[in-house]
Amino acid sequence: MSLCKTRPFFVLLVINIYSLVSSDGVNLGASDSADKLGQTPSLSHVVVNSPVFKSALDSSLSISLLSSFPEDLEISDYCSELLHIFGQRYVTYVNCLIPAARPVHVCQNCFASYRSLLDIYANISSEQMGPGNVSCKDSLLRSDRLMLVYQLYSNLEGLWTKSDCKYCITEGLQSLTNDTLYFMMTLNQTLTCFEKYQQGNHTELCKNCKSSYKGLNELYSRMENNHTLCIDIEDAMNMTRRLWSKNFNCSFPREETVPVIAVSSFMLFLPIIFYLSSFLHSEQKKRKLIHPKRAKSYTTLMNIQDKLT
Amino acid sequence: MANITKKVSWSSRADESGPAGEGTPLLNGSEQPRLSRQPSEGGSIFQIGRLSTVDLEEEITSDEDSLRGRPKEIPHNEKLLSLKYESLDYDNIENQLFLEEERRMSYMGFRCLEISRWVVCGLIGFLTGLIACFIDIAVEELAGFKYQVVKENIEKFTEVGGLSISLLLWAVLNSAIVMGGAIIVAFFEPIAAGSGIPQIKCYLNGVKVPRVVRLKTLMVKVCGVICSVVGGLAVGKEGPMIHSGAVVAAGVSQGRSTSLKRDFKIFEYFRRDTEKRDFVSAGAAAGVSAAFGAPVGGVLFSLEEGASFWNQMLTWRIFFASMISTFTLNFFLSIYHNNPGDLSNPGLINFGRFQSDSVAYNLYEIPLFIAMGAIGGLLGALFNVLNYWLTIFRIRYVHRPCLQVMEAMLVAAVTATVSFTMIYFSNDCQPLGPEHTEEYPLQLFCADGEYNSMATAFFNTPERSVRSLFHNQPGSYNPLTLGLFTLTYFFLACWTYGLAVSAGVFIPSLLIGAAWGRLCGILLASITSFSIWADPGKYALIGAAAQLGGIVRMTLSLTVIMVEATGNVTYGFPIMLVLITAKIVGDYFVEGLYDIHIKLQSVPFLHWEAPATSHWLTAREVMSSPVTCLNRIEKVGTIVDTLSNTSTNHNGFPVVVQVSGSDEPAKLCGLILRSQLIVLLKHKVFVELARSRLTHRKLQLKDFRDAYPRFPPIQSIHVSQDERECMMDLTEFMNATPYTVPQETSLPRVFKLFRALGLRHLVVADDENRVVGLVTRKDLARYHLGKHGLEELQLAQT
Repeated sequence: MSLCKTRPFFVLLVINIYSLVSSDGVNLGASDSADKLGQTPSLSHVVVNSPVFKSALDSSLSISLLSSFPEDLEISDYCSELLHIFGQRYVTYVNCLIPAARPVHVCQNCFASYRSLLDIYANISSEQMGPGNVSCKDSLLRSDRLMLVYQLYSNLEGLWTKSDCKYCITEGLQSLTNDTLYFMMTLNQTLTCFEKYQQGNHTELCKNCKSSYKGLNELYSRMENNHTLCIDIEDAMNMTRRLWSKNFNCSFPREETVPVIAVSSFMLFLPIIFYLSSFLHSEQKKRKLIHPKRAKSYTTLMNIQDKLT
Repeated sequence: MANITKKVSWSSRADESGPAGEGTPLLNGSEQPRLSRQPSEGGSIFQIGRLSTVDLEEEITSDEDSLRGRPKEIPHNEKLLSLKYESLDYDNIENQLFLEEERRMSYMGFRCLEISRWVVCGLIGFLTGLIACFIDIAVEELAGFKYQVVKENIEKFTEVGGLSISLLLWAVLNSAIVMGGAIIVAFFEPIAAGSGIPQIKCYLNGVKVPRVVRLKTLMVKVCGVICSVVGGLAVGKEGPMIHSGAVVAAGVSQGRSTSLKRDFKIFEYFRRDTEKRDFVSAGAAAGVSAAFGAPVGGVLFSLEEGASFWNQMLTWRIFFASMISTFTLNFFLSIYHNNPGDLSNPGLINFGRFQSDSVAYNLYEIPLFIAMGAIGGLLGALFNVLNYWLTIFRIRYVHRPCLQVMEAMLVAAVTATVSFTMIYFSNDCQPLGPEHTEEYPLQLFCADGEYNSMATAFFNTPERSVRSLFHNQPGSYNPLTLGLFTLTYFFLACWTYGLAVSAGVFIPSLLIGAAWGRLCGILLASITSFSIWADPGKYALIGAAAQLGGIVRMTLSLTVIMVEATGNVTYGFPIMLVLITAKIVGDYFVEGLYDIHIKLQSVPFLHWEAPATSHWLTAREVMSSPVTCLNRIEKVGTIVDTLSNTSTNHNGFPVVVQVSGSDEPAKLCGLILRSQLIVLLKHKVFVELARSRLTHRKLQLKDFRDAYPRFPPIQSIHVSQDERECMMDLTEFMNATPYTVPQETSLPRVFKLFRALGLRHLVVADDENRVVGLVTRKDLARYHLGKHGLEELQLAQT
């Protein structure tokens, strides 16, 4: 019974496969047999149950894909040209980024290549028609599930945003901002100072480089308040601070332990005095008891006694 | 022996009634405060088991007389009932005026009333939200300013030396700010001290706490809470929000302010205790909802505290008020934070959102959570016991306002000192986070670019500390820091609660719990290798719930509040388990903090049920007797004398009718309240006057409402000598059908009737409908189950 019911379904399935395949423009040798399948129910079992047949179909598909798509589905020359340029610039930018990872110089070193990458991506994603009245946006960016070009680009864009590089680079990605340049200058001064006194006693260094380090620190916190920090500056500052505090040990020492202990023990002593004195001198608050009216008849009391005994 | 007892007791009564009562024999007997049947043995507790010896003591009348001159005085303790608390008149007074008014009111009138109830609830929510918003912004701005000043100072002195000056600056700043808060509380409105939750709990229970819902209290509360949080005490601003909401509700629903002497002539129908109490429960809910961003939790809080008189429409209205309140707060805070329309700041305390992967918990963690609940219960019980002793000491010795202010200042200074010392000696340095969650990072002796991790816990408002404990990255605190912080903050918070400043205990409890919870999380992660345990924020949350549950012992509402405040339903089950465990463990040792404070304030609080093993007590033993009754047509002079008797400040008088021409005792025919009598005297509703002046306006229910809630004292009403001879007809005004019980009714039965109906007076009548006694709230609240069985509390003047 069930077989009878399912049979039309198989047929439908097969026809669908056929139409799908033929619409892709693939010349299938199996089309004849598929036609036959529709008429001969015995063969429909073969189709469904045999994986061999299916895989054979797949492999023939993949081979024929490479060879020939119809004209309108192929990407235009213009678009493939764009794609090529995008690839080149992408590689350039990534090549620039990787050496700049540690210590971080991704903003100052690579903004130019990022700009060119941006340009080409803007070209790809623009709605404007290129030569031959084609837009590459649809064909390159979102004609498949993977959306490779878009993914690659958005990864780098995410990196760019995360690094806050836009705060250090001028509008249009032309050059570093003046603030950044000034910071780099001050940083260099400090580092030179560090180098100068690195040999020998670090206390000397702490004393002599303090002014320039402090200036750098102040500049940094000013920039922090203005929100003009990018990862390059933050990293440079972090490294400098670590040098200063950890390597050269120029942090403030804990020196005045005694006065702090003295003042705090005095403070802690105050409440003891307070509570003692209020215990000894303040008169204790007494409550006047009020005696409620109660029925005191003999029966009541007898009742209670009865119940208790 | 029995015969002698009988004789003595009757004769002694006759002696007393001799000089006092002419004409109204039932009026006497109340003149003198009578001594107890118990000799003064020093012990403050009656044990009912010892009543068997009572009849013997009756014979020592001479001793009684000598003692009567000086009432016995004992130091304050928890086993007292204060006379200053009265019941609310929740029960409707169905007198003739009421019936008349109801008859006159149209269908539309009732509809309008219903609508105006909704309007009032909306207003309550709105205003409560506004107040919460005001407190939040004020605290944020002022505390920000203070911490900025101290921080700059510390930074300056870290460099050049002299950090003890910064310490002094911090301590002095704190004390000065707290002094402001303490002065207004101690000198102007002592009822505004503390979190206000015990007071509101009492109010919802049906106790009229004097001055608790006045405008002045609200002002003091709001300013006081700002001062105490800005002053750096270990307190939160959430508890006072509940009180504020309640005051707002009581004020708005009356449509006038007696303090400001402004009457807007609206909502006049709501001017009685029944309606007011309903609105107050809505206000409390709105307060909770604004404080924690937990509208459902707010409703459940009201339900948990005042559930004996409840109905479905009221719940729905309360929910409405809660929602409006949290929405209002949200809206205005979004404007303050410069992103109007973003409604993601639901409460004063915002626990922040837990990431969905870090909230995951596993079955094998449940036993751990339960263990943490037990720790919370233990620590909570310790907290409560310490605070109990401290509070008794404070009531006995630190009762003068100037001493209270000094104490508060000292606590503030010590808090600053301890915090500073902890920060100073801490070696826990952490790198600054990328998104700057630390509001006021202190560097001190840490390397540049790092901050002192102890300072994030201490050098911050408590709310922010809680949030950073919940959400900071694993590894932002080391275990030693957390342990020290828990220890110090525990004692600081315990010391702070009960000071004469308005401040709540929610946030400090959460903070203590979050600190040791996080510690647990870190330790667990270090001894095991499971990665799921790596998130200490989850354990901080569980610890916070356990600690809070262990201290306040709230159940349902607290679970919902925590779930709503974290915005995460996934945690409902563990939080509930933790709270249950904490409550069970804690209750084994001592009651919840709020209940302790209610007891210490000697409030006649009626619990859910009568104490167990009290069925053998009957109404006859419980009631007060003899009762001061009034005749239906009573002489003005008698009424004035009865009311102005200071030794018996009675509030309700059974009205009796004498069967004419017979010697039979009078029969009960109604009940009239002191407030009604005062209004009648003020308007001079005398029989003679009514006869002479035919055009005299008939007294309406409105006249009673206008005098509500502050009825003038009897002393301010002038009654001339002639008028004293007039008669007053109480028929129209008395409640003609008061609730009565027979003498044999057991205590639990009386209790149930009283609690469920919200009664204030319950007449005990004999089989011929003669008044034999009167049961009031204090008669029922006296009995409680102590360690040695049923104990009786004593009445005292406070």
